[in-house]
Amino acid sequence: MQIKLKVFRYLPHTGKKPHYDTYEMEVDPNDRVLDVLEQVRADSDPSLGYRRSCAHGVCGSDAMRINGRNMLACKVLVKDLNSSKITVEPILGLKVLRDLIVDMDPFFEHFRSVMPYFVNDDPLPEDGKERLQSPTQRERFDDTTKCILCAACTTSCPSFWANGKYVGPAAIVNAHRFIFDSRDTAAAERLEVLNEDSGVWRCRTAFNCTEACPRDIEITKAIAEVKQVIYSGKIE
Amino acid sequence: MTTNTRTIEKPKPNFETKSWMFMRYSAVLLIPLVFGHLILQDVIVGVHRIDLDYVAMRWASIGWRIYDALLLAFAFAHGVNGIRQVLNDFIQSDQVRKIMHWGLFLLWLIVTAIGAIALIGGVRPIS
Ligand code: HEM
Ligand code: FES
Repeated sequence: MQIKLKVFRYLPHTGKKPHYDTYEMEVDPNDRVLDVLEQVRADSDPSLGYRRSCAHGVCGSDAMRINGRNMLACKVLVKDLNSSKITVEPILGLKVLRDLIVDMDPFFEHFRSVMPYFVNDDPLPEDGKERLQSPTQRERFDDTTKCILCAACTTSCPSFWANGKYVGPAAIVNAHRFIFDSRDTAAAERLEVLNEDSGVWRCRTAFNCTEACPRDIEITKAIAEVKQVIYSGKIE
Repeated sequence: MTTNTRTIEKPKPNFETKSWMFMRYSAVLLIPLVFGHLILQDVIVGVHRIDLDYVAMRWASIGWRIYDALLLAFAFAHGVNGIRQVLNDFIQSDQVRKIMHWGLFLLWLIVTAIGAIALIGGVRPIS
């Protein structure tokens, strides 16, 4: 099928202002948007910059705004966009370094601020091997283990656009993953961070994050559960 | 591995924690207050029939005065706190924030005071 691809371009070393380039091209409806971008690089313009690695929705490198919505370019098929006009832009709220590549440092700084790792300094159980957990206890935080840190959620959040100090949905999802882990012991410290001005209270239940997540994590729900724990002190 | 509920030492509630809870509690109260008000004034009575006589009749009952006082206090505080949240998104400087907080608080106080004076004073003929 014939498509008209419009891509946001910014190459700081050329001294040119940010602008859009348009490419008319023939693609297969079953191509993914990532394939289309690769085709541009191969056939028209090797200077086009974007991140990609696994190309299968696992590494989380290629979140971008496709026809106005945050998606992984490697996960969305051209035919599923229901349009022959495709606009590709960098995700919002982070500084554009080049074309579709943004500075992810502030995003990862927020991620690190919630201690996104397992903490338990208690002595190991008798047999010295494993800290056991029941299937139900494991199930409790299963949804939030799925995050691939692509930033599609955080950069779809109007609160984050307005105020980059907000830790953002991705950081809260990763805090949720450990707060609700029955073996972890650092929930109180994480909640202390999330109770600050830049924490969970900046969430206004817009649901953009839930819609943007390529892993279908119920993000808004996870945030609400974290708010609930801060409020009640009970991890249920 | 028997119980799935753990209790932890929860963070000390700060202004944001309380303001978030206030938005929920006030919203629950606003559901009957706002819809009751809308149905009564706009549907049953109708805006064109609201005049001084009607207000005087209505405020003759202490019950309606309390109702109106609650509606004013909660709707306006809810709205002002909502605006505070929105403005907080856009204001990065602590000092400007402080000025904005006080400004909104004064706005809330003045409008609530005017409303309270009307509610307590009631309708009197202008001599
Ligand atoms: C039926 C009555 C109402 C209900 C149930 C209700 C509910 C809510 C809730 C739950 C929130 C918090 C949203 C969040 O942070 O996730 C909110 C925010 C807000 N409400 Fe209301 N509300 C009502 C009436 C009103 C009225 C009458 C006003 C105006 C005077 C108002 C103005 C606002 C504003 C400005 C916000 C902040 C929006 C934001 O943070 O983006 N609400 N409301
Ligand atoms: S390239 Fe790895 S998630 Fe898309």
